[in-house]
Amino acid sequence: MSHKPFALPSLLLILFWMLSACAPAAPVVVEKEVVVEKVVTPTPVPAPPKEEKIVMGFPRSETLFAQQLTGRAGTPDNFNEWVGWKNRDRGMAQLMNEPLWTIEYAVGEVINSLAAAPPQYNEDFTQMTVKLREGVYWSDGVEFTADDVVFTIEKVKATEGLNYHVQLQGVKNVYAPDKYTVVVELAEPNSRFHTYFLDRWGSLFIMPKHVFEKVEDILTFQYNPPLSLGPYVLHSYDPAGFWTAWVLRDDWDRTPTGMLYGKPKPKYVVFVVYQDPASAVIAQVRHELDAAQLTLEALRAVLTQNPHARAYRREFPWVVNTDPCITGLAFNTLKPPFDNREVRWALTLAIDIISYSANAMDGALMMSALLTPSVPLYLKEYYERMEPWLRDFTLDLGGGETFKPYDPEAPFRLAEYARSRGYVVPEDPEEIKKTFGYGWWKYAPDVAAKLLEKNGFTRGRDGKWLLPDGTPWKFTVLTDPNPGHHHYQNTFAAVQEWRKFGIDVEANVNEMWSTLNLNGQFDVSTAWPAYEPWGGHVDLYRTFDNWNSAYVERELGKPHYGHLSRWSDPRMDQIIAALKATDWNDTERIIELGIEGLKITVEEMPGIPTYTYVGALVWDTYYWTNWPGAENIYAQPYHHWPNFKYMLPFLEPTGR
Amino acid sequence: MRFVRRYLIPRLVQYVLVTWLGITVVFVIPRLLPSDPIESMVATLQAQGAYRDPAAVKQMVDTLRDMYGLEAGLLEQYLSFWKRLLSGDFGPSYFSFPTPVIELIGRSFPWTIGLLLTTTVLSWIIGNVTGGLSGYFTGNGMLKIFDGIVMFVRPIPYYVLGLTLVILFAYLLPLFPFGGGYTIGAQIAFTWDFIKDVLRHAFLPALSLSLLGIAVNHQTMRLIIQGVKEEDYIRYAKIAAVKEQTIFSRYAMRNALLPQITGLTLSLGQIFGGALITEIVFSYPGLGFLLYRAVVNSDYNLIMGITTISIVAITTLILIVDLLYPLFDPRIRFR
Repeated sequence: MSHKPFALPSLLLILFWMLSACAPAAPVVVEKEVVVEKVVTPTPVPAPPKEEKIVMGFPRSETLFAQQLTGRAGTPDNFNEWVGWKNRDRGMAQLMNEPLWTIEYAVGEVINSLAAAPPQYNEDFTQMTVKLREGVYWSDGVEFTADDVVFTIEKVKATEGLNYHVQLQGVKNVYAPDKYTVVVELAEPNSRFHTYFLDRWGSLFIMPKHVFEKVEDILTFQYNPPLSLGPYVLHSYDPAGFWTAWVLRDDWDRTPTGMLYGKPKPKYVVFVVYQDPASAVIAQVRHELDAAQLTLEALRAVLTQNPHARAYRREFPWVVNTDPCITGLAFNTLKPPFDNREVRWALTLAIDIISYSANAMDGALMMSALLTPSVPLYLKEYYERMEPWLRDFTLDLGGGETFKPYDPEAPFRLAEYARSRGYVVPEDPEEIKKTFGYGWWKYAPDVAAKLLEKNGFTRGRDGKWLLPDGTPWKFTVLTDPNPGHHHYQNTFAAVQEWRKFGIDVEANVNEMWSTLNLNGQFDVSTAWPAYEPWGGHVDLYRTFDNWNSAYVERELGKPHYGHLSRWSDPRMDQIIAALKATDWNDTERIIELGIEGLKITVEEMPGIPTYTYVGALVWDTYYWTNWPGAENIYAQPYHHWPNFKYMLPFLEPTGR
Repeated sequence: MRFVRRYLIPRLVQYVLVTWLGITVVFVIPRLLPSDPIESMVATLQAQGAYRDPAAVKQMVDTLRDMYGLEAGLLEQYLSFWKRLLSGDFGPSYFSFPTPVIELIGRSFPWTIGLLLTTTVLSWIIGNVTGGLSGYFTGNGMLKIFDGIVMFVRPIPYYVLGLTLVILFAYLLPLFPFGGGYTIGAQIAFTWDFIKDVLRHAFLPALSLSLLGIAVNHQTMRLIIQGVKEEDYIRYAKIAAVKEQTIFSRYAMRNALLPQITGLTLSLGQIFGGALITEIVFSYPGLGFLLYRAVVNSDYNLIMGITTISIVAITTLILIVDLLYPLFDPRIRFR
């Protein structure tokens, strides 16, 4: 058989492949000063000295490579973040945007970014005044002023389809009495209006008026290249969406970052997508990726293979345990038997938090007994203040019998478990509490059984639980199919605990999980047992307001936009109303109300808090050091958070 | 005329019907799923951590539903879809609103077609040649060794094979990059340097796809040719002292190739669905990930865009093969 007939087609195919691979637009290298027109003129990275090591086209000693958390950008050419979702963690959020205010949850404060001070409201919260920072400039040299803020609010309010369009309908009037002051008049009192401009992984960002006022159709405007108020400006990006590169502005000192913290050290920052955790591990071992958030297993692999790698904590449990999100289990409280608080409490007491933690994260977590995360600020203002109440909190088991469920010894038992696994664990009790949590709920299956029996549940001959009507008690725990996510870890740990207790529980691993949660088509779900609080401010309004009875859709199968548990309580409604009438700057009153609200959630247990979200963050210190690890918390540690820009001035090059 | 009336026209009618039916089914099925593009969008926006009070979210959903035209009835949406399709427009992506679907597909399409077309065709050619030789010349020692290698490679799950190649040739022996379509920061230009860069990046994904493709084609062809070898006409040719090479190439391979050509056609059609695992393991740009994200986010327009192209490609290729079959197999012409 002759091979000749195949030779020509094969060559043609290879040629076609080469040509087709060239077909996408060039990686766009963006010139700094151009405003509206898309510029594709290649401007190569300045030639470094000969001995400079070049990695992926950038001088390595001046470049920081970070992993992009949300994956490949869907619309890499589009930087118009006022429309839809834009994979902003490719550097837009962290390096280009400056909000009015930024949450700093690790330090426990709100940073005045573009704003010069916290917002000031009038007495009935119908007027908000914002003082702006002076001397801030857009990356094209135009000064940032109150006109930009006024224009943004007016434009977003007037344009249907823009993010925050609905929220701004409450604005009656907005004006700038001077260049650096903005006054917003509201149609209805709203003491939390400013939080739309408070960046906690997203907020309403300010548009450059001099660009957007010339745009006819803002919805289709690509905003490429974008202007920056942050210390970096877009350098280039991959049209396929796998990487985006940023370069330090020459006038970095005219940005809030520069004014607050000084000059960011890396000249270039490149965000790269690694779709497979194994690739990210290899990249870190090869010193091609400085900051990554991985799975616990991948974190261990990097620490083993790369002597220069470090995690947030230098020793076990390595992970970031100060994240402002609480993980756990949310009950569908409109669905029997989860509409019964004693059933919910029985399921809580049927969990042994030690074996649960071992199954979920091999013990590398911070258990949290409240439906709010164990960030430093909340440990101080909520966990510590509530400790006496928690110790005294009592459940009524019926027949005059009571039970105190709080277990302050749980973190010490988890530390013992970790020691038994051969990990190095602190000896100091205070350190143990800071590492593993302040306490949890007792493992009391006998008490759980009493609570169930009190409500008509019985055990079958096989020891399994039967519902009050005598049918077997079966339910599912719904989760996201991503095995690296805490939803998934919580699901399988809970299923194991409850099966051990004698309930026929299954995991429902479902691609459509977010829709099923939204429509109340689940029994128990692991998609956040409470809405995330700010973390860097004591206000729990946004957590509590999601349980507001005014929003609850009582018909399961119809979408519900509050917390997925659909739980509500008249006492919580009162707390929400009281918070709404409390000034954001009156922190003592806010804490008081927060404690009262948290007490109600303990009594009612609409969801079981298990542990504060942990991030398996790994830094390679081969090129950059002085990362904000647990021993040196000067900033929140994630590279995908907007505060990354505030961390960059503190990093130090190693000179390699 | 008889060929046109009895063979060509029925197949053309069948082609149009199957294409229409396929597209219609794909239009309806995503709308039966419990998910919804607006709800996915809302879930993503909420996952950002930015504050949106529930009342505002509800109003936002209503606004977006109206803006995307999802308030209209199913029939109205269907008619509007065909109207747009016939003018070559799939509409905007809901999840990446307002980017047109055709632009999203156009961005990923060249990478997928370049990688999968080449590897599918090459592995088909190599696998069929080696499988044919191995099935016909069963006593050859070298071919037996090759059979052994194929038997070893074939059961390896694709993800494991891809990852093994990355570890071997990108990490332990750093000969190739372990991901991406080209070097980060590289300037795309039609220069030899850039072409080399693209080929270097494509080598491992292409190798992984080719290895499995060759193994599958090899084993299938080997089995087919072993059956053909026992046919009477082969025996007759041997008795008639026709040269062994001639029997192999003209009689055995030619007949055994017919089902393989059909297989190739279907494989080529499936190219348009992309290669999701390849794209994940090698961070390679392509249609697979786009389609996956479209399904997860219920991005109806994007699902319709990709699957319509895929359906049209498969039915068209099958039509072409149907029309070409009489050239390969004279028996079809005489029926």
